[in-house]
Amino acid sequence: MSEKAVEVKNLTKIFSLGLKKEYVVAIDNLSFEVNAGEVYGLIGPNGSGKSTTMKVVLGLMAASKGSAKVFGLDSGDIRARNEIGFLPENPYFYKHLSGAETLRFYGKLCGMKGSNLKDRIAELLKLVDLEGAADRRLAGYSKGMLQRIGLAQSLIQNPRLVILDEPTAGVDPIGSRQIRDLIMKLRDDGYTVFLCSHLLEQVQEVCDRVGILFKGRMRREGTLDELIEIENQTTMTIENASPELIAEIHALIGTKEGARLVEERHPRTSLEHLFIQIAERSREEKP
Amino acid sequence: MSIEQTVPRAAGKAVPLFSLGRVWTIATSTVTQLVRMKTFYFLLAFALVVVAVGNFNIPATPVKELSMIKKVSFGTMDLFAWLFAIVATALLIPRDIEDRTLYTILSKPVRRIEYLFGKLTGVLVVVGTSLVAMYAICAIMIFARESLYLTAEHDAMTASGQYTGAEIQEQLDLIRQQGLRAELGIAVLASFFKASVVAAVTIFISTFASSSLFTIIVSILLFLIGHAHNMAANFWLDESGNSIFVQMLVKVIKILIPNYQLFSFSEGIVQGEAVVSALVWQMGGLTAGYLVVFLLLSLLVFVDKEF
Repeated sequence: MSEKAVEVKNLTKIFSLGLKKEYVVAIDNLSFEVNAGEVYGLIGPNGSGKSTTMKVVLGLMAASKGSAKVFGLDSGDIRARNEIGFLPENPYFYKHLSGAETLRFYGKLCGMKGSNLKDRIAELLKLVDLEGAADRRLAGYSKGMLQRIGLAQSLIQNPRLVILDEPTAGVDPIGSRQIRDLIMKLRDDGYTVFLCSHLLEQVQEVCDRVGILFKGRMRREGTLDELIEIENQTTMTIENASPELIAEIHALIGTKEGARLVEERHPRTSLEHLFIQIAERSREEKP
Repeated sequence: MSIEQTVPRAAGKAVPLFSLGRVWTIATSTVTQLVRMKTFYFLLAFALVVVAVGNFNIPATPVKELSMIKKVSFGTMDLFAWLFAIVATALLIPRDIEDRTLYTILSKPVRRIEYLFGKLTGVLVVVGTSLVAMYAICAIMIFARESLYLTAEHDAMTASGQYTGAEIQEQLDLIRQQGLRAELGIAVLASFFKASVVAAVTIFISTFASSSLFTIIVSILLFLIGHAHNMAANFWLDESGNSIFVQMLVKVIKILIPNYQLFSFSEGIVQGEAVVSALVWQMGGLTAGYLVVFLLLSLLVFVDKEF
């Protein structure tokens, strides 16, 4: 049985609204697990309880009922924070610090110091491609740069679990692609990634398993294939098919009882993919 | 490139109950924050006040003039110290909560008491540094005026030929009594003690306040009430006509709000009075006590606060 990075059991979070004795159930008896080494995506619309779930896992909020564990430790246990790297939706960092100072600050909070910390900062700045902006204050960073320094910050103490809250929200397609590439790299290097997002395409691209949250309850959960597969249909993409070959395939389908051609079309690239291709070509062009 | 080359996994690493290292990291970051917010610019305003007072020609004796310069300079220094303590402290925690910087800090292995203690330490370092800088400005001005008065008085008395050497010396000693003396450092320390307590009270308020503005207003109000302890006690506790409820209320307020009047001993020092070292130790102890109490009260509110 694989190790559990996150175990949420029967989690309920109730907020009281001021002194009116009115209550809002933000999370309702939620249970799910994130296996070590996988990329798990929690998706849902705004107000579905994603951020509240994340805050409970981070230990920033206490559960009203149920429990949340990180690598077997209660999420309220301070030792669990050693295991977690957190990238918030909006870059919540001190704007008066530079990129390198930000990493140094968070590294020191994790008990790192000396050449160990210095090497780690250099390594992470290289990883997120911010070596050139290391000494610039965060107030001058773009949204994409802030997200990347945030990702570097989340990795500073080399945690086993990285929690990302809407990591590409407000970032342009190129910056968004860079962050997605980094998430894939994290998975390849054995990190567990717990991702909250409402950008479905992004989740589909990077997640191994997905949970769909709605009004504080888990509606569906499983691997991406399990969730989106249409079991009785098959797609084939053929390159350089002649009209004769297409006609033969049509004829063959007609001879099989129950088989039916549902759709036939030329595959299309996504607008995002096209945008990135054009941007990359433009960048390679000589001025 | 692999991500985890230089640092071993932090898995299972014990987290000490209290880390001075983390407190100091938060404190130094707070100092950097306040410095980069250009808060030290208020020192320029202070320098202007001191230079203006020092060059003000008052028709009075040198002793009275020096006394007046010290009174105004140290009064301004005290005002700037406690006001700065309130404003700087009020800007820190509510802003961290508003900007949600607190999320990323508390998602690291940082205990909430370390965060609060770090913030308070940072403010105290900045207040202490500011006081030293303000004292240096005052000292330069007082020393310059004292030297000027001593020379002028000596020359005038000698030239008149009406005074003996002993009489001249006595007059010069009187001027020196109102000049730059080591005891003035204790007056600065008293201002630091007071500003420290003010900062601790402000930290406590900011743990439950909804904004920096609310924190500043409430802290200033408490500061003013803290200066009326004796008056309130005389008026409400000694008057037999007051109900038990009013008397109880005044007693509760007396316990909850620090008595800032106790720190006024610095005024006597500035006026040239002798200082008893036991009193300084006593005030140091009282300050430490207030800091511990208000930090614990802050923790009580902050420890279970959800963000």
